[in-house]
Amino acid sequence: MDEQKNQNFARREFLTRTGKAALSVAAAGAVAWTLYDRKGPSRDPKAKRLVQFPDFSVPKIDGQTISIVKGPDRVKTVDKAIDLLGGIERFVKPGETVAIKPNVAFASSPSLGATTNPELVAEVVRLCYSRGKAKTVYVTDNPINDPASCFMLSGIGRAATAAGAKVIMPKDQLFEITTLKGGTLIRNWPVFFGPFEKADKLIGIAPVKHHLRSGASMTMKNFYGLLGGRRNIFHQNINTIIAELSMMVKPTLVILDGTQVMMTNGPTGGSLSDLRRADTLIASCDMVAADTYGCSLLDLKVSDLPYLAKAENAGSGTTDYQLLKPKFATVS
Amino acid sequence: MRIVQTRRISQVFFFTLFLWFCIVSTIGEQFWQIRAWPANLFLQLDPLVAIGTILTTHTLYWPLLWALATVVLTIIFGRFFCSWVCPFGSIHHFVGFLGSRKKTTPQKIQLNKYRKAQCIKYFVLIVFLFMAAFPSLASSLQTGLLDPIPLVTRSVNLVLLPILDSSVNFVSVTSRFYVGAWLIFAIFLAAVLFNLLIPRFYCRFVCPLGALFGIIDRFAIWRIGKNQSECIDCKLCEKSCEGGCEPAGNIRISECVLCFNCLDDCKHELISYQSQPSLAGEITNPDMSRRSFVLSLASGILAIPAVRLSNKIGSNWFHKVIRPPGALTEEEFLKRCIKCGQCMRICPTNVIQPGGIEGGLENLWTPVLNNRIGSSGCQLNCTACGQICPTSAIRPVTLDEKHGKGDFAEAGPIKMGTAFFDRNRCLPWAMDKPCIVCEENCPVSPKAIYTQEVFNTIRDGILTVKKVAGNTIETNETDFILDKFATGDYYCAIGNGQRGKITANTENTIVISSDTWFEKAPAKGDKIEIQVRLQRPYVDIEKCTGCGVCEHECPVSGKKAIRVSAEGETRSFDRTLLLGSGPAA
Amino acid sequence: MANTGRDKSLQSIISLCLLAVLCLIAIAVLIKQSDADMTRFGVEITEEQTSIAPDGYKTLSEIKTYTAENLYEKINGKAPLYTESGFKKLSTQQFISSTDPNLWAELYIFDMGQAKNAFSVYSTQIRAEAKFLPEFEFTYKTANALYFVHGGCYVELVGSSEAAELSSAIAEIGRRVRTNLPVDTDSQIPELAIFPKENLVPGGIKLYLASTFGCEGLTDTFSARYMLEDNEVIAFLSKKTNPSQAQAVAQTYYKFLIDNGGEDKIPKDQSLQAKVLDFYGTTEIVFATGQFVGGIHEAENQQSAEQLAITLLDTLSKVEE
Repeated sequence: MDEQKNQNFARREFLTRTGKAALSVAAAGAVAWTLYDRKGPSRDPKAKRLVQFPDFSVPKIDGQTISIVKGPDRVKTVDKAIDLLGGIERFVKPGETVAIKPNVAFASSPSLGATTNPELVAEVVRLCYSRGKAKTVYVTDNPINDPASCFMLSGIGRAATAAGAKVIMPKDQLFEITTLKGGTLIRNWPVFFGPFEKADKLIGIAPVKHHLRSGASMTMKNFYGLLGGRRNIFHQNINTIIAELSMMVKPTLVILDGTQVMMTNGPTGGSLSDLRRADTLIASCDMVAADTYGCSLLDLKVSDLPYLAKAENAGSGTTDYQLLKPKFATVS
Repeated sequence: MRIVQTRRISQVFFFTLFLWFCIVSTIGEQFWQIRAWPANLFLQLDPLVAIGTILTTHTLYWPLLWALATVVLTIIFGRFFCSWVCPFGSIHHFVGFLGSRKKTTPQKIQLNKYRKAQCIKYFVLIVFLFMAAFPSLASSLQTGLLDPIPLVTRSVNLVLLPILDSSVNFVSVTSRFYVGAWLIFAIFLAAVLFNLLIPRFYCRFVCPLGALFGIIDRFAIWRIGKNQSECIDCKLCEKSCEGGCEPAGNIRISECVLCFNCLDDCKHELISYQSQPSLAGEITNPDMSRRSFVLSLASGILAIPAVRLSNKIGSNWFHKVIRPPGALTEEEFLKRCIKCGQCMRICPTNVIQPGGIEGGLENLWTPVLNNRIGSSGCQLNCTACGQICPTSAIRPVTLDEKHGKGDFAEAGPIKMGTAFFDRNRCLPWAMDKPCIVCEENCPVSPKAIYTQEVFNTIRDGILTVKKVAGNTIETNETDFILDKFATGDYYCAIGNGQRGKITANTENTIVISSDTWFEKAPAKGDKIEIQVRLQRPYVDIEKCTGCGVCEHECPVSGKKAIRVSAEGETRSFDRTLLLGSGPAA
Repeated sequence: MANTGRDKSLQSIISLCLLAVLCLIAIAVLIKQSDADMTRFGVEITEEQTSIAPDGYKTLSEIKTYTAENLYEKINGKAPLYTESGFKKLSTQQFISSTDPNLWAELYIFDMGQAKNAFSVYSTQIRAEAKFLPEFEFTYKTANALYFVHGGCYVELVGSSEAAELSSAIAEIGRRVRTNLPVDTDSQIPELAIFPKENLVPGGIKLYLASTFGCEGLTDTFSARYMLEDNEVIAFLSKKTNPSQAQAVAQTYYKFLIDNGGEDKIPKDQSLQAKVLDFYGTTEIVFATGQFVGGIHEAENQQSAEQLAITLLDTLSKVEE
């Protein structure tokens, strides 16, 4: 009896073990089958996810595309400039998320004019909340110098937070890869995408600056901050990259601050003598038009900035801003 | 025929086959030279290579399907690979045998006791597997460091074979060199010599492949065991036990390597290879405590992120890490390279070298080009490294893809890097000496090195005319070396941009080529200048592929006057030099 | 496995099976080892290389090409002759005898873009000891080389020695080049047919693309050697776009001759409608008719010169537009 039991036990043990062996073999085979790769890896590192920036623009209204306001006080001139285009309510609807992209490229004091003036940023944020009834306003940029120092020394960090906005730092996880349709340079390139993915509207705010390589840095060049990776390589073809930026990003509104214009030693400046007071502020739905007007503040002609023609040819706007029936005003 | 005799024949067979594959990995048309496929057979049979790459890439590269056969056979039969196939194992087996020949039987039995330290190899395996397992965190294939097949392949191909061949130069016409081979040798020697202490030291304590087999053989249908419970416990079965698995008592199935010595040695034929578990009891689980398991797991997961803090694959990359043509982008490359050294072995110019840790710890023994060594940089019409790489860390590109022709014309040629002139050392730039060896050797067409002609007045080259007779000018200065200026590179400039080639000179006369005709011949008292015609070379970075022939041929042989570094390599985004180059969209 | 006898024979059976498996593996490896496919390892075998080399010869290296920028590296001072005549690229390859390494030949294929250019560089450097081959157009050989025009290419095959074996190999390579190289459609040179055939020295037609006879203004000119009763006479003609251009060029050349010491003289044959000059003892004749500029160059014998000039004029005036 015992012998029989032992034999049965042994047989059962053997069968169980054989069964498990068979299952293991099957599992190994299944893994090999599903993961079998006949082609091998390809030449190009595949992008995990290719993104496209949403189109943030609002419908055109004839005669309310570009406004130019003269005055020494930025807070007042920007209010007037936006009002001339229909007020912030035209651009920001209640409950929306707004991303504001100022120029925070350098860890430089606001008085030196290399970055967007913090009071201007704060005022736009305030408008979005108080009159636009936005749900959240982000203030963000991907600076050239260390981000934390830039937001701090430029004063934009504090100004934005004080006005109730959320400052978003350019963390690695917020970058994605994009290929611009119709672009020759922006292909499989990392871009700072996170804040813009969630936003409904995008407002760019840039100072008027001289730039040694491109001639000038204004509203279109402002979006260079959205490029990631080793973006300095694009300086080999600076005018094309600016034109492609204007194709890649379609903002709701851009504000070009010509109150204190950096006339020389751009884009970093560094000395108060580099600045000249022009007391002009431009708000525009057309970046090309805004930059065209801006170049007059730098004593430049349209032909001095090849990127203007390139952007116009790409369909991003017009250099003939008179056609847009610009609105002018003065605020003391 | 006893089974142990067959096992020995099998060991000799596979060891010979392994050596044959090592010799065969040579470019050439002779019978004993490369035929591609079989040369990687051992690496392809190795399941640790397959499983490692499955973890890092989530694919099974098709040539590695052979490993499935090994896995299936191990699941069914047990750890046959270790004592029947593995060439490294055979070496340990043999040296262990030599080491214990003079020992007494009780001493041998003592040596083959199971030791707790035999669980270390499982920790090694777990650490490696978890280093590979999380691509989103940071994953890297480091199994090649201790996986026996890549290890023995490296050691034979990059150390033993070049040393043995250096006196006869049969396998390779020129002697082969491998940087840092001393370390590979040291590790190999240590592993082999430890067998004199304890037989099969590496197999029992270190080998992660053995550990892998030990985990998957638990359901083996047949296993070694006692077929009777009555046994006098003479322990003769453990006299030559290779695995240290203690067949006399509770046999540890995960340690048994199926050498069948116990079966052969037992005078009472109590031990057999049977389908029922040993009647003296068996242990199938590896001897690993949960605590140690968790520790290994955590170390494995944290190790690679810790190493990557040096940012050696990010912006802090080392410019001399020039990878072979067809190599994947660095992150992907490190997920596939098993450091087997096959690419270094096959490279006909001996330019591919084992990397060191200057490129980061993960760079150890990965392929890096060193243009100072070998015959001529990376040959234009060769793709051998990619063809032989067993895991496609270097892709098997075609010549068309390498040259950017045919279907690849839009993508352009594969660039490994770019050559940069050191104008402080280059002869025409810094020493007023003509030389364009680099330009002559540049293999691409049109060449990636071009020259601009410059005439420089040589040292003490301003002379005063004493007398002119036809084409011969006699000077006041009288210390020229005979025909020093007659090499065809020297010119005599007489002012107003007029210049004629010097065809001969004595201590005080210069003879100018009769082809030259001066509008206004020099007169007595005029100043003339001896100038050297220099062709100053420039790199055209749009055409340079970084092949390194120029660096190899540069006559400034200590620190070369033209050196290749990896900027501009087409396999990576962040190392491109020029706009519009780099991986195609 | 308890029984002694069964145990041993079971081991033997299993052993034999395993040994059989090892044998199979060995055989499979040996079979694979005999398969000589080397192309995966970058040994490039292109169609051109295998088919052009004749029996007993193999190519020494792969085909090297040169553009206008680096042509001088290969042929040094002769480069301007080609680069100023529409040179596009040069392909060279060496062939060496499998049996005697001293016998080798180098093939030069100068792609000149069009037949006219190829003919020009061919005709202006015909060697003195040239032997023209009647079965081919524009082909001659010397003791150790073969030269010919093929479509838009000028081909030279130069051998290391005068050995007969090498010469026949060169001839064979030349034949293969002709069959393998695609021929440009633009391979007809109409002006060649215009020269009167009588007394024309075989292979005596040259084409100068740039300046002719030292005169910069006289371009694109064909010259032909004639033997009239032991007198060598060189005739020339050039087709211009319209008659007024032809007149202008004729005038330029006439003026060039005068400026350099030529003197007008009276033609012996009054019916000759052309300018006849004495140039340091030789006779020069220049005329323009229709779209053509033509004449005689450096003739020793004035009478023969004028005779040929009249024939040429006559032929040219009859040429259909």
